[in-house]
Amino acid sequence: MVLFPTLSFRIFHSCLSRALSCSLTLSFSPSFSLSFFLSPSFSLLPLQLAPELVSLLTKAEWQLWYVTPLFQFKYTRLKSYSRQLSAFIAAERQQGVAVETEGGHGVKASFSLVQGLAEREGDTEAVLIQIASRPMFSRPDDPEKTIWSGWFSCVHGNVDYLTSLSQDFVCLPLFCSSGTENITSIVRSWFSRFFDCSFGCLEINHTTLQWLATLWTNCQQEADLQHLKMTWTVPVAPPMQITYTVNSEDAWDLWSSVRKSLRKDTEEEEAIDLEEVEEFMRELKSHFYRHFKLHLSISNSRYMMSTLSLLTECALLKMPI
Amino acid sequence: MDDIAQSLLKRLVRRIPRQMLQPTLEKWGRLQKAQLESMDFTLSKYALTEKLLSICEENDWSTKHITELELLSYIIDNPNVGMWHAYQLLDPEDDAHTVELMQFKEQFKSHLTELIQNVSIKIKKHTDEAVWIRLAWGESFSQPNHFKPTYVVHYLQSPYVFMTSLKSKHRPLLDQALVLATRCQSIKDANLSGRKLIAIRDLLMKQYEQVFPSKFPRHIPENNENARNPLIEQEQSALSSNRLQMACEAFGGGKLPEIQSAVYRLKTKFRGHAKNMAQRKEPFKCVVKFSSTNLLESLRSCASSGIASTPVTPLLSSIPLKGRNYFVITDNGPGSSQTLHQQK
Repeated sequence: MVLFPTLSFRIFHSCLSRALSCSLTLSFSPSFSLSFFLSPSFSLLPLQLAPELVSLLTKAEWQLWYVTPLFQFKYTRLKSYSRQLSAFIAAERQQGVAVETEGGHGVKASFSLVQGLAEREGDTEAVLIQIASRPMFSRPDDPEKTIWSGWFSCVHGNVDYLTSLSQDFVCLPLFCSSGTENITSIVRSWFSRFFDCSFGCLEINHTTLQWLATLWTNCQQEADLQHLKMTWTVPVAPPMQITYTVNSEDAWDLWSSVRKSLRKDTEEEEAIDLEEVEEFMRELKSHFYRHFKLHLSISNSRYMMSTLSLLTECALLKMPI
Repeated sequence: MDDIAQSLLKRLVRRIPRQMLQPTLEKWGRLQKAQLESMDFTLSKYALTEKLLSICEENDWSTKHITELELLSYIIDNPNVGMWHAYQLLDPEDDAHTVELMQFKEQFKSHLTELIQNVSIKIKKHTDEAVWIRLAWGESFSQPNHFKPTYVVHYLQSPYVFMTSLKSKHRPLLDQALVLATRCQSIKDANLSGRKLIAIRDLLMKQYEQVFPSKFPRHIPENNENARNPLIEQEQSALSSNRLQMACEAFGGGKLPEIQSAVYRLKTKFRGHAKNMAQRKEPFKCVVKFSSTNLLESLRSCASSGIASTPVTPLLSSIPLKGRNYFVITDNGPGSSQTLHQQK
């Protein structure tokens, strides 16, 4: 089955709350969709996520994947899955697949439920997987070190699609991983064998990223986020990465200044249009060019938002942190 | 042999590449001829470790000997483990240039042990004028930790010192000992770091091929298959050879020292077109990081291919020119927004 990504944007006002709502939908035809709902001043349900979890989710850098529905995944069997995944990793290690740089004598996977992210009816509870290892020269009572984290979630999934799935399937289409590629591929391999699913890289195109960067900046005031970080890859030999991190207050000032100069007074304050977004990005790139004489737009247009997965933050923004 | 020495030896054998085991042990010279001959280097590392352990017991060796072997193997084969940072000694006294190896060794050991009793020091001179120091630090009531040693390399007759795996709390002690032993007044951060010791040394001490501006642009051959085919004519060949010349002038010709990143902390006024930002007095704070497996090679390639405009901006060409890869950039003053001033 080949999945082709298509992209659609809708900006609309929610009649109920008069807040800005923006929905980004990434649809993978034929019948698979994943959407996230961002609403800075809209707090309907008090989401209760444990502080350590919030800290984990916001401090790591996540690589994003889409995953097809999991066949016969049971929330009651999480402990069993933990044991089986740990054994699988150990077996892979014996075969010589490098697992982590610090040779640990044991790796232990643990599956846990993340309550709070599944908002609407039809959403399934998110699952967090953490892999810990015991470093080589540690004493027995030393704490284990988490070397890899990953989670599956479905936040505001397309209701029609979810209800059309048979009961045997659990849909957790977004998979985020943080850790070495070796372990990530072992975990993906285990999941695909056990639950007959397949993974694909969630590549987000240039336009979406501009939007994400801007929306993030827009939310800065509400969420007290630290910085805006963007990464480009320059196609030279050897390839070079450029990471451009802007202090959030300065990004906010630039954004407000762009909005002031472009927006006509009659327009609603809350709507953001593409022109403003593009101008904001152009200004950032211009500041960069004046210093380094390097055109960021010449580089590969697939630049990734790497800090604080915006998609997670969108969901978490509603939480009283 | 105590537990620590045994663990150290096991770890060391695991780390040394197979083909280097025999040469390293031979170079070390501490094994008797018969003992060395009795080792079968075709066996597994596990078997070799066991054999070595028994030889060590025979010779009644301790941690001291194993750390000496570790230092030697590190020098020969592993100077690319961890992140190296460069420092520069400043204001030498009049007699600083007369300090030679023996004096440096004695002075360093005596000064450091005065500052911290509980430290294990090993010093060895390598062939290229480099003095290697291995330090294992102990707390007040515990033995020196040999599993996390600090390595320091100083090139005598140069003001440069390179360090790796040093905790910030030990830095002032090490600095003091170095300054006193080399007869200088102070030591400062050279703002250069990288994973390959030889590369940062070459960059700092300018030991790589430099290209100077010449009246007639020298044709530096590119690895270009088209160049060999007489039927293919490159358009704008003058422009591109000009770019190449400028790229090489900025970054160097031939093989370039491998550094992995460069970080610029920008605290300059916003340089875009947004009207309100132009009046803003505060600097636009951002950090730009360039990274690559061989950053100078990538940058040279950016310049020669036109991705980066030539002449290369001084911000980028400062990397090889000043031998550093961390910069804090501020504006020169309220009047001049055109010039960029570099801070230490």
